[in-house]
Amino acid sequence: MEAIRVEGLSKTFQVKRKEKGMRGSLKAVFHPHMEKIRAVDDVTFSVQEGEILAFIGPNGAGKSTTIKMMTGILYPDGGKVEVLGIDPVKKRRRLAYEIGTVFGQKEQLWTHLTPYDNLKFFGAIYDIPDDEGEKRIREIAELFELGAFINTPVRNLSLGQRIRCEIAASLIHRPRVLFLDEPTIGLDPVVKENIRTLIKRMNTELNTTIFLTSHDTGDIEKLCRRIIIINSGKVVLDDSMEHLKYNVSDTPLEDIIMEIYKSQGRGEAV
Amino acid sequence: MKKYAVIYRSVLMENLQYAANAAMGFVSYFVFIFIFTQLWNYVYSDPGQLIAGYTREQMIWYVMITEMLWFGTRAAAVSGQAAMDIRGGNIAYQINKPYHYALYLLSRYTGEWSVRLPMYALLSAVTGLVLVGGLPGFGILTFLAVIPSVVLGITIHAVFKLSISFFSFWIEDSNPFQWLYDKLLLVVGTLFPVEIFPKALQPLFRLTPVYTVCYGPAKLIVDFSVEKWVEILVAQLFYLAAGCALMFFIYGKGVKRLYVNGG
Repeated sequence: MEAIRVEGLSKTFQVKRKEKGMRGSLKAVFHPHMEKIRAVDDVTFSVQEGEILAFIGPNGAGKSTTIKMMTGILYPDGGKVEVLGIDPVKKRRRLAYEIGTVFGQKEQLWTHLTPYDNLKFFGAIYDIPDDEGEKRIREIAELFELGAFINTPVRNLSLGQRIRCEIAASLIHRPRVLFLDEPTIGLDPVVKENIRTLIKRMNTELNTTIFLTSHDTGDIEKLCRRIIIINSGKVVLDDSMEHLKYNVSDTPLEDIIMEIYKSQGRGEAV
Repeated sequence: MKKYAVIYRSVLMENLQYAANAAMGFVSYFVFIFIFTQLWNYVYSDPGQLIAGYTREQMIWYVMITEMLWFGTRAAAVSGQAAMDIRGGNIAYQINKPYHYALYLLSRYTGEWSVRLPMYALLSAVTGLVLVGGLPGFGILTFLAVIPSVVLGITIHAVFKLSISFFSFWIEDSNPFQWLYDKLLLVVGTLFPVEIFPKALQPLFRLTPVYTVCYGPAKLIVDFSVEKWVEILVAQLFYLAAGCALMFFIYGKGVKRLYVNGG
């Protein structure tokens, strides 16, 4: 069964441009120059339920914009998105109960509260009854090994511990699809490996569909069975990891990806 | 509604940890009140004198109450938070949750002032009793009667501040608009009661949020009457409904224009 279906998805942003220096700044006050940038351009793909998909591309390729349209945060200019059969534009709040999101560079946890209070909070937000919420907190704390710091305010946790809590908070409502936008950014190799193990366990034990963006080829190699590469807002490759590696078996994945980026040219999308 | 109560409770828990920080604001509040007390003591040369219908005690208590509301309910949740979330991209985490972002901010704000305002209320009561003495005619019944008006006034204030905050969906910085709104409240309804201003302007001021946000609750505390109480509560309910309609309208239009980049 398809968990995600994207057809002809497009998004254009208007970005202010200014000539250099004070003269440019003054000119921009009276004659602001806006430029249209096609961040996502006619993107089509689908993801099966239970699949772990790597959605990668250089900075500004349109990865996060695509995720934000799939989660109902941004409104597409064209095309169609369905996540678990739900249109994110029309039913954003209904979809919120079915999906989880982790943006590695952003925080959703309340930093002055403890992980326990945060999990309790997110449980209530997703209308989980108190008893059930307690049960899930115990399960998640065990799965993510949060026991040692579950009662420490989030602001006092290390980055690795915080990311574990961020992912844990995204799972309290047992989402069927999890969007992970660079979840391992800034983490040391040991913590990265722990996070990968957790993602893998979530997928195998809970059959959670994982939509992953990452610049770390380790994440992609160890977790994903399929890879989509996006550049300048367009899909430039949609292939299985096995096929990609089989074709160029001697070349490290990082070099293969680098070649694809180069051959497609690095566009300056948003 | 349960989830908004949970947001409120979480903010309360968060803010209780930093209750002592609020005490730092007491110093500027106290200096402010002391200056205004001296000013009104000088203006009221005769103890029985009335200015714009207010005795000296009523005038000083009026300023203390409106300043208490000003200092005790100041919070980023309704002024800069939306702009910060939009500019920093954190809004991505807020609007894909199963709650309404505007009501989320409103619950946060309520949690923030719930900790600070009672502390300022206690400080105001002590300061007022020491500097000018008790307020004639004010008793426990008046106190209980004005609570809904105070809560409604603060909520209307929040709804208008949030409506202005949501301009950030279109413009990069909504602070200049926040500044104009704050100064209108400060000059027209906070430092001076509406009756001080020329008669020709008073009906105009009564049409602004000033009447329902600060003037109304403070007027009821210093000079309570049932007629006034009903008049102010009806005006507040009308303003709340109109303010909420405006806030949801601006948010609904703005969120479709959201532009979040940078991961």
